[in-house]
Amino acid sequence: MESASPNGLTQILLVSHSARIAEGLAELLSQVAGPDVSIEAIGGASDGSLGTDGGRVMSALQNAVHGSGTVVVMDIGSSILAVRAALSELEPEQLEKVFVADAPLVEGALAAAVTASTGAPPEIVAKAAEEARNAAKL
Amino acid sequence: MQQSYESMTTSAVLPARVDLHARPAGVVVREACRFAADIVIAINGKRANGKSILEVLALGATGGTVLGLTASGDDAADAIATLSELIPQLA
Repeated sequence: MESASPNGLTQILLVSHSARIAEGLAELLSQVAGPDVSIEAIGGASDGSLGTDGGRVMSALQNAVHGSGTVVVMDIGSSILAVRAALSELEPEQLEKVFVADAPLVEGALAAAVTASTGAPPEIVAKAAEEARNAAKL
Repeated sequence: MQQSYESMTTSAVLPARVDLHARPAGVVVREACRFAADIVIAINGKRANGKSILEVLALGATGGTVLGLTASGDDAADAIATLSELIPQLA
């Protein structure tokens, strides 16, 4: 599977315990950020139950290095462990293209996707996601 | 025309049936991000960075609301012109 972004925009990788959370969030991001941002949604364990599929996370990150940069936004627990495990297998030059955002999943991904749609590089996109930690809702 | 650093303010009204929810807010923020100028959207004393989707969503602006727009920076005039035309046309 080729995930290189043809338009040079920073890509977003979502990792959740739930396929429906990941896919629903990807749908929301496309609505808000527009159709140009490449969003990959990984959710659930390999048998379709709630959980994390480390193999899918790994292959997504390995593909991600072909693009112009990828920002990863995760939910909780084993999603984070799976991303960490995958990162530890990447080469240093691959790691330069992958930015993991320490951010709440929905709000962080939303900020990231809108920022990515403006052509911002992955380090700026990740920073936008992390600013979501302090964003008031009311 | 030579432009220098400037700050401009205007207002724009959301269409009656369009709340500044996820998709329209995304349209506004993405347009705002095309400008170098700092952009602030304000309603009822609440202020949002016009380039932050989360701040703009937190305004909770509903259809028909008058949005205050302030742009500060070299391309402030362009930003104000573009956004004040865009906002009333949101669908």
